[in-house]
Amino acid sequence: MDQLSQALVSGLLLGGFYAIMVLGFSVIWGVMGVINLAHGEFLMIGAYLAWGLFRFFGIDPFASLALILPLMFLVGYLLQITLINRIVERPHLMTLLVTFGVSIALANLAKIVFTSDPRNVAVAYSGSFQFAGVTFPIVKTIIFAAALLIMGGLHLFLQRSRLGKSIRAAAQNKTAARIVGVDINRVYAITAGICIALTAAAGAMLSPTQAIFPFMGPPFTLKAVTITALGGLGRIPGALMGGLVLGVTEIFVATYVAGIGTNLGVATSFILLVLILVVRPQGLMGGLRPVDAEAD
Amino acid sequence: MTNGPPADKNGNETGKKARFPSLAPVHSLLAGWTGLALWLLLLLLLALYPYTGVSSLALLVGSQIFVLVTLASNWNLIGGMTGYVDFGHAVFFGVGAYIMAILVTGAPLLISPQWGFWQALPASGAAAALFALLIGLPTLRLKGPYFSIAMLGTLVAMREIVRVSRPITGGGIGLNLPPVLNRIGDYYLMLAIMGLVVSLIWWIQRSEFGQSLIAIREDEVGAEMRGINTTLHKIAAFMIAAFFTGVVGGFWAWQNTFIDPDGVFVETRTVEMVMMSMLGGLGTVWGPPLGAVAIYLLQNLLWSNLFEWHLLALGLLLVLIVLFMPEGILGTLGDRSSTSLGRLLARFGRNR
Repeated sequence: MDQLSQALVSGLLLGGFYAIMVLGFSVIWGVMGVINLAHGEFLMIGAYLAWGLFRFFGIDPFASLALILPLMFLVGYLLQITLINRIVERPHLMTLLVTFGVSIALANLAKIVFTSDPRNVAVAYSGSFQFAGVTFPIVKTIIFAAALLIMGGLHLFLQRSRLGKSIRAAAQNKTAARIVGVDINRVYAITAGICIALTAAAGAMLSPTQAIFPFMGPPFTLKAVTITALGGLGRIPGALMGGLVLGVTEIFVATYVAGIGTNLGVATSFILLVLILVVRPQGLMGGLRPVDAEAD
Repeated sequence: MTNGPPADKNGNETGKKARFPSLAPVHSLLAGWTGLALWLLLLLLLALYPYTGVSSLALLVGSQIFVLVTLASNWNLIGGMTGYVDFGHAVFFGVGAYIMAILVTGAPLLISPQWGFWQALPASGAAAALFALLIGLPTLRLKGPYFSIAMLGTLVAMREIVRVSRPITGGGIGLNLPPVLNRIGDYYLMLAIMGLVVSLIWWIQRSEFGQSLIAIREDEVGAEMRGINTTLHKIAAFMIAAFFTGVVGGFWAWQNTFIDPDGVFVETRTVEMVMMSMLGGLGTVWGPPLGAVAIYLLQNLLWSNLFEWHLLALGLLLVLIVLFMPEGILGTLGDRSSTSLGRLLARFGRNR
């Protein structure tokens, strides 16, 4: 029983991180139909930025979000207007290939700049506390709380603000949004900026909990796809639900399948992904964009 | 039947005019028997090449180029002709490499102590094809980007699984194969495999099987309604592509004498295959070999000058090719709609 509740709590905490990790990916896919294969690489960049700020300026990873968010917003904005907006209306294959190319380029750029030695961010509060007989790692608990906070904020922004409404309009019907005067390219660029910033923020928050290295990205991209398939496109509650399901599944596999540890995280989520896609091609909650969208 | 690329048989090529009209006859000649004749002539010349007294380094370079050409042609069969863009094709390379390594080193779990290279080589291809059957049954049901991502997932997951299954695969430490230096043998073996694969692709392109694959690419539902068993065709193409990729993987493991999960199950190898096919012309017979040679030359140029930056440049190059030359060399020089992306662009254009 004790092991069960511990595994459940660990899974939920991991799931909270997954939920915040997946948001950017899910919203980009939902709004512009672009599957961003460089997602994990932006997470990696966020983690490296947090490491650099911590190592050289002594800034706490959570405080460094104040710098990382605007910086990465700019990066995402520029990437969108220079690159992705050119091909966003072309066949899916082209956006896949371009983001794949970007991911390879970013990972190897990071390898050149930071070398492939793993880096760690050793914060002072890296311990854990006991509550009701269950161990809560402090950092992961903070991430979980921050995840809920950020998701609430993003939800409010998308539902209430004028800009959020035009983003949703562009996602629902591009032509109609254009007719009523939404500048699609600008909305896309802002969306990409927000999403890349969120992804980098997730990476920065991740930095105290695991080693940072240039090729850490692809597993996160893959998990993001799985969670999106679980929870639906561009839906914030769906991202939370999907993240929690994947987190709990992963920890349960690690706890109850002997001799594996957490080494099979990607394999677990991959099997989950293929199962979902084969059994329910529209995603578990529905709403995955039909692939033949490029034909109509 | 003797001239004109098979895609022209539909007779509705109303897309963009070729940018170099004078080259169009050359292009259509290449797709027919003339192309095969020229290819066989080239193979003959390459077979005579070692007799000119070249260094063993030149032979190594030759066999490396043949490996790339074979990989690109294989990827093109599933990614270009059938239209299932496989982002994890390196997984078959890895499976082939590991089967070869496990068989020739006589890893503990096997009853027969050690296999010879010649028994292990077809076995690594067969294992990759079997793996393709198992993995293709679920994943080939997925469409478009979902297939690509599922295959990328296969690759990353296999890397983890191989690293964890330490008793069989040596885990993250990898496996050492017996070092056997035989440059001239390597050269001729890869030449033969490459010749076989490219000729096979040429034949497939002209056969009913290949036309069915192209029909699946253009309109899968339509193909199914015309009575094409799409599942069977896709699986068959996937298994053929996987078989030869596995053989090449086995050969590579043998030549390299050392493999580990990070060395064979790498995304970079998939990127290379995709890029070579794209640069030459996706879905054409001669495009991927052309692209493979071009990328090899380009890489060597980059490799010698900016060693560290070469993978970064590779990624950027992929972006540039997609942005500015999606139809590839053959599509740009000749008939734009002979390549699969050219056709896709001509059909869907900018409006979706």
